[in-house]
Amino acid sequence: MRGFPLTLNMAEPVLEFRQAQHRHRVPQPRWFKPWANRLGPGIVNLDLTLHRGAVLGLVGPNGAGKTTLLRMMAGILPLQEGSVVSHITSGDNGTEIDLRKWVGHMPEQVRWQGRITVQEALAELGAMRGTDIKRIQGLLALVGLKQRAEEPLDNLSQGMRQRLSIAAAMLGSPKVLLLDEPYNGLDPVAAEAFTQLIKRLANKGVSIVISSHMVGQLTNLIDRIALIHRGQLLDEGRLSDVETRLNLDSRYSISGEGDVDFTSILDGVKIQTMREEVEDQRWNLIFRGNPTEVLQSFMKAKVTVTSWSPVAPNLVEWLCAATGMDVEDITLEVGSSAMLPLRRMGGAEDE
Amino acid sequence: MSDWNKIRIMAARVRKERLFGIRMKIMLPILVLFIPGMAWGFSDPNIILPGGHQPSNAMEVLFYASLGIVFGATMCAVLLSFDGISRDRASGMLEVRLAQPMPRKEQATALILGYWQTILIPVYALMMVSLIIVRVRMNEWPSLIETIVYFLSTALILLWYTLFALIASTSAKEQGTAVAFGVGVWFFFTFLWALVTTMVAYASGISIGEAKDPAWVALEGALDLLSPNGVYHHLLETQLPTIERGIATWQAWAMAIVWSVIPWRILHRRMEALVP
Repeated sequence: MRGFPLTLNMAEPVLEFRQAQHRHRVPQPRWFKPWANRLGPGIVNLDLTLHRGAVLGLVGPNGAGKTTLLRMMAGILPLQEGSVVSHITSGDNGTEIDLRKWVGHMPEQVRWQGRITVQEALAELGAMRGTDIKRIQGLLALVGLKQRAEEPLDNLSQGMRQRLSIAAAMLGSPKVLLLDEPYNGLDPVAAEAFTQLIKRLANKGVSIVISSHMVGQLTNLIDRIALIHRGQLLDEGRLSDVETRLNLDSRYSISGEGDVDFTSILDGVKIQTMREEVEDQRWNLIFRGNPTEVLQSFMKAKVTVTSWSPVAPNLVEWLCAATGMDVEDITLEVGSSAMLPLRRMGGAEDE
Repeated sequence: MSDWNKIRIMAARVRKERLFGIRMKIMLPILVLFIPGMAWGFSDPNIILPGGHQPSNAMEVLFYASLGIVFGATMCAVLLSFDGISRDRASGMLEVRLAQPMPRKEQATALILGYWQTILIPVYALMMVSLIIVRVRMNEWPSLIETIVYFLSTALILLWYTLFALIASTSAKEQGTAVAFGVGVWFFFTFLWALVTTMVAYASGISIGEAKDPAWVALEGALDLLSPNGVYHHLLETQLPTIERGIATWQAWAMAIVWSVIPWRILHRRMEALVP
């Protein structure tokens, strides 16, 4: 597991979405009914459980439905079908609740603008949640905007605006924190500080959902992953479990120098070769199998090995593995919102 | 924190942002010219209006000067609030606000109050100036009830145009559509309503524009109830006994309530269904 240790608490569910659905209305004007519309893309038949103290990476290509899903979770978009069950407080007893009270939501791009100051902007949102000014000042210090508290919003840089969005999401001490592409616009220092902040919040029991189309950014942070494509949840679970299920685990890259004959060196070693390259006395092999056996075989053959590392799957590999589609199909379909999920929807999208 | 307090704080943010914004600085000279400027002109003791009419008391002057409200202040109300929601949608702030545990109806109310106050504060200040101008030039104050009706009906017409602009803003995906809708509604009721009245009169076989024809006066009076500007003038006319267009005081106030409640409810409903 690449994330931080799972605790016992993490198994506790916080929110459960059962067969949840929200599909956007798409205009379909007709001669006598120019305002007519139909159900278009969105989220379909979603079963997802958020766990206490877990960081869930919501991964999918552009247009997959990540933002729609986060908006559903934040209570901004209503569930057209299905239900959401809360275990946030002991009194909830699995009942439906107003999500907005417990969920902090950070949208992808917020252009904070105007002549009001940073603190005033946060205070206005705080008033909507009943957060006092002391907590707001604490949040500004937490995201590194304490010195800018009296600065007008118009004077903030993109990175500062992103920090302010993070502070706004944390108003009211949410039990679930939804972050839509939170690393956009953050410099490396701020990104690292943000990662540490996420880990601290998760250790305190906050359930965190981070959406991104950059899987690499998330692998050191998340302990669960949800693969989403064309409005469907393709797979969800602990990162290592999903990798195993999709045959994306145990992948390694080994590189070295000198003459090499992979066939003879690896004779009798059970591996699945994924890529081999030899160029100017430098070679590289990417395989799936037992790394110890492979390494021992190279040592026996007295071949110079310069590097050896596990290979994490990228977004396209995740999606190809989850959908069973080719790279070409996946990449072509990413841009298309004309059709909706295939795995569970089956029928037509019109209603 | 009580619900009302939340609404008050959100409205105060809107007011602060817009009252001292650049848009207001551009509009202020227009408002000055239209409101105290018209009061100055119509209170001239030597003024002769078309038809040889001469305003005889303070309320009559304020009635004529109300054209400045209809032409200038309502336009400013639209221009201040046309992007009340669409701007937040474009910047992503709408999503942040809708994610807060404050009912959307209350958020809508806060927006209405915020934008309404933004136009109301300068207009009321300039109306005070108008009263002083009328007092200085005519040596007469309007009565207390006349003043209350003048201020109240002005507040209402500004509320209606603020509501129209905000409703347009809920459906506009970009600022151009929002401003086109807001200005379009303003243009329709301010300039084209006369055309609608004329067409209805023509269709009804009533001679058009005959100020002394009771049928034309009655028709115009009745159709004016269907226009916010017309209702505004009906409200002011309740304090002018010389003007009789066949509309009872209660009818004018009832329509004022209708013009307030229906767009308010529409905005609430639009807000409930709003997608960021």
